[in-house]
Amino acid sequence: MRQKLPFAKSVRRTISEHLPALVVLVSTVLLAGVVGAAGGVAQIINSIVTGGMWALMAVGLALVFGVMNIPQFAHGEAFMIGAYASYFVFEFLQVRLANSASAFLQAAAPLVAIAAAAGAGFILGLFLEKLLFYPLRLRSKAGEWVMNAFLLTVGISFMLTNGTTLVLGANYRGVPQYWNAAPWTILGAPVSVDRAMAFVISVICIVALWLFLSHTRTGRAIRAVSQDEIGAQMMGVNLNFIYPLTLGLATALAAVAGGSMLFLFQAYPTVGVSPLYLAWYVVMMAGLGNVAGAIVGGFIVGILQTATQQFAGVVWTDVIPTVVMIVILLVVPSGIFGTEVKGISEK
Amino acid sequence: MSSVDVQDKDRSDLWSKIVSGADAIGCSPLGAGLLIVLAVLPLIPPFNQEHIVRWFIMGAFLAAQAIAFDFTAGYINVVNFGFAAFLGVGAYTSAILANEMPFLIIQPGISPWIGMWAGAALAGLLGLGLGWLTLRLRGIFAAVMAWFVGIALMGLTRNLASLTRGSMGLHPSTFLNTTSNLPYYYIILVMMVVIYVTLRLLTRSHIGLAFKAIGQNIDAARASGINPTFYRVLNFTLSCFFAGWLGSFYAHYYASLTPRSVMHTAKTTEVLAIAYIGGRGSMWGGMVVAFPFVFFIEYLRSNLTEMPGLHMVIYGALMILLMIFYPSGLAGMYESIASKVRSVLRARAFVGEPKVQTPGTTRADVAQE
Repeated sequence: MRQKLPFAKSVRRTISEHLPALVVLVSTVLLAGVVGAAGGVAQIINSIVTGGMWALMAVGLALVFGVMNIPQFAHGEAFMIGAYASYFVFEFLQVRLANSASAFLQAAAPLVAIAAAAGAGFILGLFLEKLLFYPLRLRSKAGEWVMNAFLLTVGISFMLTNGTTLVLGANYRGVPQYWNAAPWTILGAPVSVDRAMAFVISVICIVALWLFLSHTRTGRAIRAVSQDEIGAQMMGVNLNFIYPLTLGLATALAAVAGGSMLFLFQAYPTVGVSPLYLAWYVVMMAGLGNVAGAIVGGFIVGILQTATQQFAGVVWTDVIPTVVMIVILLVVPSGIFGTEVKGISEK
Repeated sequence: MSSVDVQDKDRSDLWSKIVSGADAIGCSPLGAGLLIVLAVLPLIPPFNQEHIVRWFIMGAFLAAQAIAFDFTAGYINVVNFGFAAFLGVGAYTSAILANEMPFLIIQPGISPWIGMWAGAALAGLLGLGLGWLTLRLRGIFAAVMAWFVGIALMGLTRNLASLTRGSMGLHPSTFLNTTSNLPYYYIILVMMVVIYVTLRLLTRSHIGLAFKAIGQNIDAARASGINPTFYRVLNFTLSCFFAGWLGSFYAHYYASLTPRSVMHTAKTTEVLAIAYIGGRGSMWGGMVVAFPFVFFIEYLRSNLTEMPGLHMVIYGALMILLMIFYPSGLAGMYESIASKVRSVLRARAFVGEPKVQTPGTTRADVAQE
């Protein structure tokens, strides 16, 4: 039980408890300032847009790890599936709407495509859980689950990537832009409608997920499972309903990211590799299984990425973040926001 | 007792000594036979064509990697997801040390036979650093961090163009001045056996016992006075050391190195698939699977050129099916068949003698009463 403390003392305690997070947040804001000073406001806006997408990816990853204890390695493939689904639906709609003069339909077509991506991702998640993780769960011993599930997702990723190559070929499929409109002006910087919409979509998805998790019965059940599986079961939570739902939601979020980033990441079989890497990066930084941390972490990584590209060159984008991660792991192994999800230290 | 009986007994004693001695270095009669077959096969007509000898070399290379990989994955239950990058570090180190051409900034011109140890040592050192950093945490941290570090190493190799020529790749000198593949086959076969015997001896010692204890239940191991971090780091370092050693073989055999061709995560996944299909914690399983697998894949690749990536799909499908339905792999299958055969033989030998009750059945009997 925490005593009521004088204001100054409680502030000091809060700061010392959240020191790593504060250090990282302050340095991110400083970094954003430097990026903005050197590259203009457009750079900051770009990194916030991509950061929103990494947050979307990372939230799914954190959710799956927290609830199902699966280190999902096939998350990038959900991004890939989303990109493909959006591409095909959008192309189909464009052909149909080519002669239509309705501005509303033209503007709604990309949204339909992104919704299709979400649907495809959700179905993918359901299938993965029902066909693969469920039988694995029946057969796996308690101590082996994390590693077995990890290897299973490696196999899934391998199969989906190469299966796509086999069926669709290794061609790039992309759209130059979803919305054929003049760029918006935000804080004096021109921002293309696609980017702005991508940011809006990521915010809507995250807020919707947040409301779902905190304000609905099912959402509370999901959080209960992530805290204590057996306890949740005893309260009447049906795990065979929660697990497919969680995986479906997570893959749907990744697919939405893939769909709404189609103008930036063209759909091809291995498009998911770098989003997967970044999502894992966010999750490791924020703390495994920490959903709220993953949201903030996505934006931090977006800024870090832009700063690396701007000051060290595109070729160093793989190297510098890893060095930063090593420092973070050295100082705060449980991530900057910390987690207690089923123990991270093998004590 | 007649003298014939005594002689027979002596001979069987000597034989059992040989068998147990061979067993200590991980060589059952069956294994020795298979090894001899492997050594002789490339000399016999249908297999002595150069391209088939190349397949044998690829098989032995993959087998050796699978052994080193399984030493970590199967014993301490940590998946080294940057395995290919460590292999690449060894390959690049040894290639740069052997370089005499003016296109790089340094031309030490050290013999590959010495350079390979430098490559192995550097990979081992990197493994030590990474292991020391991540192996205090849960296994998944080591796996993901090894993956990050692997990606970073690949990026570094691509960017240090004055040392590695970046994505253009290196063309290091070869071990031997010959166009024949056969000598290389024996080099990699010897390397494979050395790795296997070394790691096997290690896993047979008390250190190996500690590894197994950590892999099975880390809390129980700690309670028994084992320092898990020390043994896990030791294991990880050794595995990386041998990865680097094998990398130098790659460099001086294929004489062509690009960051993508050796250090990419897909390369790790291939080794991982072989090691797990072979059976985790056995080391020999991966070795046995690697050869037929390479032949199968290469056959597929040369005959189904219009379907690129099919062999990768097969890798993935096999891994998924195996992970769900038969997680102990080929080694597990062999063990279960062997134990069945053994029990059948024992039942034959003990016909007429009273059946020995096992503790399990006794307890069940008691419970029934």
